Formats: sequence, C-alpha cells, structure tokens
Amino acid sequence: MSTDLQDAVAATLPGAKRQSATRTRLWGWLLLPPAAWMIVFFVSSILIVVALSFGTVNANGRPAFGTSLANYQALMNTTYLTVFIRSLVYSVTTVVLCMFIGYPVAYAIALHGGKYKNALIAALVIPFFASYLIRMYAWSTLLSDEGLVNQALHTVGFTDGVQFLNTPGAVVAGLVYGFVVFMILPIYASLERMDIALIEAGKDLYHSPLRTFFAVTVPATRAGVLGGVLLVFLPALGDFVSAQLLGGPSTFMIGNLIQQQFFESQNQPLGSALTVVLMLALLVFMVFYLRATQRQNRET
Amino acid sequence: MTNSNSAPEPTVRRRDFLRGSLGLGAAAALAGCGFSGDTPAPAASTSPSGSAAPSESPAAKAVIDGDLVYFNWAEYIEPTVLEGFKKEYGVKVIETNYDTYPGMLAKMSSGNQYDVVLPGARFVEQLRNQNMIQRIDKAQLKNANQSFGWGSYFDNPWYDPNSDYSIPFSMYTTGIAYRKDKITTMTGSWADLWNEEGKGHIYVLDEADEAMGMAALLLGLDVNTANPDDLAKIKDKLISQKPYLRAYSTDDINNLAGGNAWIHQEWSGDFLNFINYTAEDPKIWEYIAPKEGMPVNSDAWVIPANAPHPGTALVFLDYLLRPENIIKNIEYLGYPLLAQGGEATYAKMVEGRPSLAIDLKNIDDTKVYRNHTPADTAARDTVWTEVKAS
Repeated sequence: MSTDLQDAVAATLPGAKRQSATRTRLWGWLLLPPAAWMIVFFVSSILIVVALSFGTVNANGRPAFGTSLANYQALMNTTYLTVFIRSLVYSVTTVVLCMFIGYPVAYAIALHGGKYKNALIAALVIPFFASYLIRMYAWSTLLSDEGLVNQALHTVGFTDGVQFLNTPGAVVAGLVYGFVVFMILPIYASLERMDIALIEAGKDLYHSPLRTFFAVTVPATRAGVLGGVLLVFLPALGDFVSAQLLGGPSTFMIGNLIQQQFFESQNQPLGSALTVVLMLALLVFMVFYLRATQRQNRET
Repeated sequence: MTNSNSAPEPTVRRRDFLRGSLGLGAAAALAGCGFSGDTPAPAASTSPSGSAAPSESPAAKAVIDGDLVYFNWAEYIEPTVLEGFKKEYGVKVIETNYDTYPGMLAKMSSGNQYDVVLPGARFVEQLRNQNMIQRIDKAQLKNANQSFGWGSYFDNPWYDPNSDYSIPFSMYTTGIAYRKDKITTMTGSWADLWNEEGKGHIYVLDEADEAMGMAALLLGLDVNTANPDDLAKIKDKLISQKPYLRAYSTDDINNLAGGNAWIHQEWSGDFLNFINYTAEDPKIWEYIAPKEGMPVNSDAWVIPANAPHPGTALVFLDYLLRPENIIKNIEYLGYPLLAQGGEATYAKMVEGRPSLAIDLKNIDDTKVYRNHTPADTAARDTVWTEVKAS
C-alpha cells in the first residue's frame, strides 16, 4: 500500500509538473503501458478495497460484496481511536527523529562528502535492498535478551543485560531505522541543488554559521524536508512489521489492526473499511503537504 | 515500505512458524484473493450431516492419472517421502505452499486447482460446507486401516463426520513452556501465565482463539464461547494479564531461543522441535499440560472437488499411510501423526516428558477451536481487538 502511495507522492512532487513538451503521438503511445499498469494494479485494487468495505462475510468466512454500512459502524468504537492516536504519536515521533538524524547526515554528505559523495549515498542505500522485514527480524534476534548485543554487553560488565525489545521505544526505533533513508535522500537532493555560494554570501554578510544555517540553508531546503516528512510519515503510520516484531503487549498499531482483519480474523470487509478510513486520514496530510509546497513555489 | 515486493521472502516453515500469522506472504496470499458471490452457505456452527452432499460426482479410483499438484505448508513433509513417491510412480510433484490458512482458502476459492491440500480441521469443515472438497472412498486406500477402524478419535472427528472427506494427518496441543532455571513457582495451571516471577518475560500466542481459549479455560468457560457475558469476563481477564506480558507473539521458537521468554504459551510440536533442534540446553525447559485442560487441534488431507488428478491424489494419500512413511514423517515433523503405526515412534520421541504424550483414542473435542457464525466471529474478534489495542 505505502509503496503505491510513494509513487503517487512522487508523481505530485513539484518537479513532476507537466511541461509543455511537444506532444507527439509517440509520447501518447509510450504512456499507454504505464497508464494501463496503474489502472490495472493501482486504481482497480483501491476500487476493490472501497467496494469491499461495504461488503459482508458469509458463514464460511468468505468475503462478499454488498451495500452495508456495518463495517463503518463497527469502527465507531473508542478502541480504534486509541489505536489510531497511538499510531499517530509513533509516526510523528518517528518523523521528528528522522529529521534530526537525516538532516545532519544529508548535510555532511552533500557539503563535505567531496569525491566520496556517491559512495556514501550508495552505502546508505544498499542495506535497503534487503527486505525491510528481514532487517527487522535480524534486529529482533540481535537485540534479544540473550542475543549478540546483550552477550557483548555482558562481557564488558553489564551483567544485568538490557531489555531492548518489546517496548514502544523499540517500535519507534524500528520505524526510524526502516524509513530514515526516505528523509535523507530528499534533503540530500535539495542540498545538492542549492547554490553553495548562498552560504558564503551569508557568511560575507557577517552571519554566524548557525544563523547562516537557519536563515539561508534551511529555507532553501524546505521542499526536501517536507518531502522527507511525507515519505517517512505515510509508511510509518501504516506500518505493522515494527510493532509485530519489536513491539510489546500494548504497542498495537493501525497497520496491525488491518493486517489482523485481513488474515487472522478473515474479515476482509472490516479490514477494507479500516484501510479506507486510514487512506482518508492520509489524504488530509497529503493536502496539507501539497498546499505547503505550492506556497513555497509561489515564494521562490 | 518494501517488504512486500522487493527481496524474496523467507519461506515460512510450519516447523518454526506454526501458522504464519505474521502475514509474511501478504502479497502472495492476497494475490489469489477470491470472492464468493451470493451462494448461500450452510451455517458454520452446525456440522454437515454425512449424507447431505449434493451434486456428488462418482468417487475417484486410486489410479495414477497425472502428476501430483501438491499444496501444503513449506517443508511440512519428510523430503525423502516426497522423493520416493516421484520415483516409485514416475510422476512429477508440482508443489505450491501457503503460509496461512486464510491464504490457502483464498487461493482455492479463486479457482486454483490442486490435487491434495492439508487444511486445519476447521478449514476442512469450511471446505466441506462449501462443497469444495470431494468424498474419499476409503476402499481405495490399501492402508486405510492405519488411520481408521482401530478406535482412533479420528474415525469420526468433529470437523468431518466419519472422515468422509478427509484423511487426518497431524495434531498438536497448546500448553505452557517454561524455564526451570528462572521460574520455580509453577502451579500447573493456566494461571501460571500470570506468574509474578516471570513478570515481563511471559508470552501469550498472538492468536485470538489461543489467547481467549486459555482465558476461557481458566474461568471455567467454553473455549468457543460467544456469549456476551463470557466474552466480557474473558476480556477483563486478558487485560489483567498485560502487566505480566512481554508480548503477544506466534514467533515462539525465536522467543524461547533468544532468552526473552521464560514462560510461553506454546504449541506441543513447536516445543518438541525447539528442544530437539534449537535449544542450547534442553534440560532447563519444561512443558506443562495445564490442569484446566488443553486445546487440541489437528489437520487433515483433502482432495479438492476440482482436483485435476484425483486418482494420483488417492495413490499419494495411500502412500503416506504406509507405516514406514508415517514413521519418517513423525521423526521429521515432531508432530504426532494420527495413524496407528506412528504411536510408538512418537511415544519414544517424548519419552520422559509425559505432558507431551498423546492418546489418540481419547481426544477431548470440547477443547477444539470451532467455526462460528459471522455474528459470533465478529463478537469474538471485537473482544480480541479490544484486548490487543488497550
């Protein structure tokens, strides 16, 4: 789901605006396969989810289409609100942490990376070629009470060991680890695009380095930060893997809820209704993002 | 997120991941998502009567009629048994795996054709109710006496009267695993999952039926209850357990091996595999059969109604029932097989651990997880969601 959202986000990024390119017939034909792909695999699956959210489950646990509002009525339960707020707190925390980690990293690579820039970016990205799920699983093994990290701590004198896993902190840490690269890359890109002479100009005008940073660098890279915020926030809010593998008894997130409805509970209609509500909530954030970037486009 | 479409997913093996509720194969399972139309289905709570199977085609004969299209958990069979079948009958085995039962059902419902499938008991009932599996003529199986006619409970199991449509395969109980080096105050009750010594190191299985069933047994209720008062009590009981829990998880073997779990609600077969293959020191581990009773669950082979090669399927099921193959499978899987020839083998495997012993003639089918009506399913599911969300 979130991969599709990212595609959608990428398509709406300012740079992707329609250029008045010469529209030859060839271009039209070339657009056909991707358009067909999007309709078949993206639009249609969303339509099925929306349609199914009004459906029912029959006596043998199979979903059937319908026109019932029962699934949405079932969501009028404070339990779901609790889970949603918890997910919101986790994902906002994740975004903030990613920003504090991502910005310095992107800054260091873009401005001080020199000839190693590309190598450093590759070093950041390559671990992400491995499935997110497998990396999370690896963390849960490494950080377990008698895992490698605790064994190492034990040998250097921390005989009590540290419980890393199964806490809200572990879930947020998992989300940060999983999505921080989505923060680094857009910020890196906007820093790359920025004219370094601007920083020098700031210094020439007797700004302190800190003031130069906040008065010159940050505004110039706001689009990158906003893009990063969105790219981290959206998948973090819908994530279920981190809470499942690193979470405790009270770290259930909205993604876990949806996953549970689709699989264990065999209640795809209720899962679909939850998905629709989540998508609508995400849409609110998307609109906010688009307005913010539009404003910036007007300013620059 | 990249987990559903980038690197190849790990194969979910039932041996260390009993029912794959993590949804690793989310994309795979949903890809075959099938929707039922308006066809009325018999109420799930009433068992089908043996005679009422409409539009029955004549039962297949055990004669090879093509390659075997085989649909099962990954690695849930001894590899040389499968190899032996290929060699002996000169057929290919086209293998597909599922990682959750709902995923299995979705693939079958969307029209994929298989010759043999291994659903869990309640899914056998669902498939039978939906006329998706065919009657198995026991006269076609030379080794039918391994499974039937010697007083086994599975001559007439709850999910399939007279085992008309299925051949029982393996089973497990749900009990409690614990570490003797950490915990000294176990009482042999489900209340041990509220043990003070184990606080913060206790795991409950992340499955609605298992968690709610355990609480129901402790409260003296039916494991399948959907009565609102009962459900309210179960909910309060489970919420009272939260301060003691490390997590809800079905990743039991990793939880035990990583040292996070000192007390773990646990499946018998996983426990046996854990102490036989994974545990550094098996002697510190003990398995408890709680005095309030243990849930029992099983699976069974079925032949789908649309199987392309039902003859080969019958030959295969007969082949699995040969005593030597039963023994090989038990030794490999660590689960007791529901056949006469395997009893001694399993008894030897669990020697010295009486809580793992199983008596196939005396299965308590009041403690199996059954199918519910949609309303009851929703009521139970709401309670489970409220427990986990709190």
